[in-house]
Amino acid sequence: MTDIQTHSKPIATTSYNKPNFSLNYQQRRWLGYIIRYIIAAILIVFAFVPVVWVLSASFNPSGSLVSIEVIPQNPGFGNYRGLFENQYYPYLTWLRNSFVVASVSTFLSVSSTTVSAYGLSRFRFYGRKTLMRAILIISIFPAALSIIALYTTFQQVGNHIGILGLDSHASLILIYASGALSINVFLVKGYIDSIPLEIEESALVDGATHAQIFRMITLPLAKPILITISVLTFMAIYGDFVLPRVLMQSSDKYTVMVGLYLFQSADYAQNWGVFTAGAVIAALPILGLYMLLQRYIIGGLTAGAVKL
Amino acid sequence: MNKKNAFPVTPSTIIRLVLVGVFDVAVLSLIRQLLNDGNYPLSGILGVVIVIITLCFSLEKLRYYRWLGVSLAATTLFVLYPILYTIYLSTTNAGYGHILTKQEAVDFLESQQYVPESGQQYKWTAYRSLESIDDYVLWLQAEDDATFLTGIGTATQPASIGEDGVGIADDKGIPTSIQGYQRLEKRDTVAMIDQLGELEFGVAPDIIRITSLTAAATTQQRYRYHSDSDTLTDAETGLVYHPDEGVFTTDDGQELPPGFRVGVGLDNFERFFSSSALRGPLVRIISWNFAYAILSVLCSFALGLFIAVLFETLPGRQIIRALLIIPYPIPALVSILIWRNLLNPDFGALVSLQNSIFGTAPNWLTDPKWTRIAIIIINMWLSYPYFYIVSSGALQAIPTDMMDAAAVDGANAWQRFSKITLPLLLKIVSPLLVASFAFNFNNFNLIYIFNQGNPPIAGSPIPAGHTDILISFVYRLAFNSAISDYGLGASISIVLFLFIAAITWGQFRYTRVLEDQTV
Repeated sequence: MTDIQTHSKPIATTSYNKPNFSLNYQQRRWLGYIIRYIIAAILIVFAFVPVVWVLSASFNPSGSLVSIEVIPQNPGFGNYRGLFENQYYPYLTWLRNSFVVASVSTFLSVSSTTVSAYGLSRFRFYGRKTLMRAILIISIFPAALSIIALYTTFQQVGNHIGILGLDSHASLILIYASGALSINVFLVKGYIDSIPLEIEESALVDGATHAQIFRMITLPLAKPILITISVLTFMAIYGDFVLPRVLMQSSDKYTVMVGLYLFQSADYAQNWGVFTAGAVIAALPILGLYMLLQRYIIGGLTAGAVKL
Repeated sequence: MNKKNAFPVTPSTIIRLVLVGVFDVAVLSLIRQLLNDGNYPLSGILGVVIVIITLCFSLEKLRYYRWLGVSLAATTLFVLYPILYTIYLSTTNAGYGHILTKQEAVDFLESQQYVPESGQQYKWTAYRSLESIDDYVLWLQAEDDATFLTGIGTATQPASIGEDGVGIADDKGIPTSIQGYQRLEKRDTVAMIDQLGELEFGVAPDIIRITSLTAAATTQQRYRYHSDSDTLTDAETGLVYHPDEGVFTTDDGQELPPGFRVGVGLDNFERFFSSSALRGPLVRIISWNFAYAILSVLCSFALGLFIAVLFETLPGRQIIRALLIIPYPIPALVSILIWRNLLNPDFGALVSLQNSIFGTAPNWLTDPKWTRIAIIIINMWLSYPYFYIVSSGALQAIPTDMMDAAAVDGANAWQRFSKITLPLLLKIVSPLLVASFAFNFNNFNLIYIFNQGNPPIAGSPIPAGHTDILISFVYRLAFNSAISDYGLGASISIVLFLFIAAITWGQFRYTRVLEDQTV
């Protein structure tokens, strides 16, 4: 940042000498700021319209749909109470389902990603390059394209093993966890590649096994990238819609995303205020996670851009 | 055991081998059951999984693969298999009325029973085992007052009051108890009639079933499959069925549901590429699919880059950045639903705002043009923060010495941006642009959640919408209509996959992802 600021100086001086400019350098700089602040304000309004509106509607007791007032007249928690006391839509169960599925899947997925990445980074074995290419190609296939196949597969297996059938969270978790060999494996592998080998070599000389080195040296050192992919994976699974929509069939098995979708496609006008409250609550955990781990998320996205 | 010297058997080795063994046994038993269903594809892939796991974790030579074994097995099962299975489905007529495999259809039909004309009718009374809640015996009274006792899987035998454990009779001549069993009261019988109706008493071929609250009858298997002639005969009517295009059919054309899957070769692909009925909607869907993906990426990237460049040196940019990123951490589904409500023609807040300012508002959900515009705007809102973050990062990765040189040479800000910054930046982010294109090309969530692909295309032979992209059309084909055409849906999925795989593979060849950064 500071680099670029110092560079801006010479250009400014060159144009300062042009005769047709009536404003001096200082004035033009301020004019530039003002224009940019105005643009920033417009963009912020664009970014915040849905956010402000859903917040205000969720506290609006009238449930008036057309309402465009930003601050409701008699704000209250009525919609939130309605959300948790609704007997037809078990919102809390959905929220819990989402958390269970997303946490377990993230844990399994990140664990197997990391173990695989260590293997790919530290060992040279026959078929390694081919394997990496195959992983790349396979990981491209979007899960949405496999829904028909996944649906029929779990239907068939479910006839014999109920817990691995349709309408079971275990099935959902297995699918998400198996997405481990995806682009994430390359992010982690790249990170482990950059950890110097010397520490591990001296540990090997001291008689440590690879499993010990992995657990006691690599894992702690790779913590930043692990946090990054954990958060991104959790966010992706928590927000996924199509798989739980197709595979989960009874309403107490839905995730919060599927539930929210049903909320608003069901009895529209009646569920109105309750839907907005549900939307706010569903977004809060991810927003919180983001604020807490912003550094890792932005770092991960930037690394993905610069390194891949 | 002679390897003992080379590889000492440690407790961890034993635990590992035991775990592998347990896993193999469990999967093998599942395979056996699936083979009984005639489900060869799934059995085959489970066999592959067993081989991977067993070899990786037992052969010392493959010890490096242990790090990848579990991931490989899981990927084989839940990523690779669905791809292969989709390919298989695309060559079948799987769909509404053709869900089962042939074996499953035959099994289902062979389980059908009927009451032959010669069949015996009985009045029945049920007795439940004292030890198992699933075990029952029936006391049967034939029309000629002969009495019998029958159990599940035991032959029906004449029985009379007071003999062989049959207890004393009540006033209607029915025994009050049978040794080891307790008589079901009328009330319980009514409650459990569905459960009881599924039980088969006696042994084949004289199976006795409960047919109503009072009557039971000898039933016989209705359909019998002859594998040598590949025909199915109906014992009740004498009709003979031959399999024809996935359904058992008589010579004069009577069909016997359920149907089953049969291979249809490349018919589905042929329909996709050349069916004249499908062409109209498909051409629309495909051209919108491209336009939507390209416009989404370009608009979002342009806005993200614009923000990154414009505010790069602005005082207070941290606050602006924190505020502008807000769409990113909100789950996309929540945002899309909110946008949908804001744009609802009847009570959307943005629509009433537009009405009060302009006196009119476009119909965002039912006018094809405006629905498409809305989708692009929403996608911009959803994805510009990502490109903002990425572009900011990339801008900082661009070396500054060239900028200095250009500035000294008298290049103005725009020249420096368009001639130096932009080309370098594009080089860095182009893989991400391609990835984003591939993602948006199959962005089912946005299309489906915003408007389910609607408004509908009038006169389309298969339901399709003006904002449908191929993947949402596949969903419609498979899950959302009475057609339920898995075969056609799967073949479109394959075409989509090949397309995405081709561009992504091309993209990765120009990146460093396959290189090793050390060694």
